[in-house]
Amino acid sequence: MNNHHGQSQQSSESKHDDDAALTDFLASLMEYTPTVPDELVEHYLGKSGFQCPDVRLTRLVAVATQKFVADIASDALQHCKARQASVVKDKRDKQQKDKRLILTMDDLSKALREYGVNVKHQEYFADSPSAGLDTASRDE
Amino acid sequence: MNNGGVNTTTGNETKADAPGGRAKADDFARAVSRVAVAQICEGVGFESVRDSGLDSLSDIAIRYLHDIGKAASFYANISGRTHCNVFDIIRALEDLGNFQGFSGASGVSHCLASSGTVMEILDYAQSAEEVPFNQSIARFPVARDRRLIPSFTQMGETPPGKHVPAWLPALPDPHTYKQTPVWNERKSDLRADKIEQARQRRNAERSLLNLQQRLAQFGSAGASTSNIAQHHQPKELKADEGNPYLTTPLPPGEKEVASVNLPVMLSNGPTKENSLSVLETFAPAIEAVKDRFCEDGDGDDNKVLPDKRPAIHFKFKTGKKVFGQSSDLNLHNKYLSRPVSLIGREEERDDKKRRAEYILRQAMENPQELTQM
Repeated sequence: MNNHHGQSQQSSESKHDDDAALTDFLASLMEYTPTVPDELVEHYLGKSGFQCPDVRLTRLVAVATQKFVADIASDALQHCKARQASVVKDKRDKQQKDKRLILTMDDLSKALREYGVNVKHQEYFADSPSAGLDTASRDE
Repeated sequence: MNNGGVNTTTGNETKADAPGGRAKADDFARAVSRVAVAQICEGVGFESVRDSGLDSLSDIAIRYLHDIGKAASFYANISGRTHCNVFDIIRALEDLGNFQGFSGASGVSHCLASSGTVMEILDYAQSAEEVPFNQSIARFPVARDRRLIPSFTQMGETPPGKHVPAWLPALPDPHTYKQTPVWNERKSDLRADKIEQARQRRNAERSLLNLQQRLAQFGSAGASTSNIAQHHQPKELKADEGNPYLTTPLPPGEKEVASVNLPVMLSNGPTKENSLSVLETFAPAIEAVKDRFCEDGDGDDNKVLPDKRPAIHFKFKTGKKVFGQSSDLNLHNKYLSRPVSLIGREEERDDKKRRAEYILRQAMENPQELTQM
């Protein structure tokens, strides 16, 4: 992608290509259904002062949000996997049930730090009154 | 893809949120975003999520949406538009992607259509599996259809002015917004008010005096028993004034109901002598007031005054009077100066009267103390 900007002599030509690509992408969004529902996006965009009747732009924002969340989630997944891999082998037998990939605040805060979000979470945080009683069964 | 784990967790949580306090306006949107984020996490490869992680991530997603909208509308407004277009959104995405960095971010005048963020999104959209939201949701927040105010044309009215177009909503009924002046109907004639006040006061005093007179009569008549006094009184009242309020509703002797009588109260007091002594004690005061009533009751015929009270006038005048004046002139002067002196005397008399009344009232209320006087 760098070559678009690096070579300015071809810029008019490449811009034309980019325009076409963008137009195609926006057109393809008409058929694309992002995981983030349109209604949710419209609600929050409307709350922030955004006005646009074009559903393609809503979808574009939805896809961007989805990408953002997915990036964070995949980073957290890597952290999770790395943490599990670092556990010593003899302990791993005991923590067999913990081998499942669970999104925890530990991994999430590590991932979010790279995205400019500082999440400070408590050492022990009770999600609900039943938290800590039977953690394994709750997280099934 | 393991479908079960994530969905059950989110399902539990949306239910668990409900009973905790009152539902907030944003609850539904947050629940939806939780489901969406959980689906994305599932798509990435997670098998399960903790509530705290899911909460934070969905909060961040909402914040991200909000920030995009804010930045995009900001860019639209700064270029003089109210509606956003795709370039505003791309600028907003670039702003939010600055922290991470994207290709071409260093270029100052790069084309927005070929922005690195858009390319990344494009790549993501093509590579990522298309996972639609697992539930169909209605548009929210639910806006109830409002009834519009009918316009002038619909109401069949003509607008109040030419500058008001007929398609505008009609004005409400005039009485709901017009202010009508309310005049003070009372005549603010101070003199008439004063006269009226004086008249009322005189009436009150007269009734009090009547009462006192009646008391005095009863006292002097020496009613042997209180019962007789009770039966006797209503008749007398009738004879005296013909006051319809004081007449007995029943023929005397049939029933002993007329209990609104002061003699009863007095006779209920410690002794008969007490009441008598009260009257005797205040006889001069009563007499003075009575005298005044006689003349006041005569109306505005003030010519009686000089005959009645020459002594006071002389007292007033002695200091300044030129000797050798004829009595006629003297009398004439008196007439001239009467208004002033009258007012002064009236006040004086009022004061006296008020004191007398006050003492009398106290005496009525607690006759015990009178014996000590």
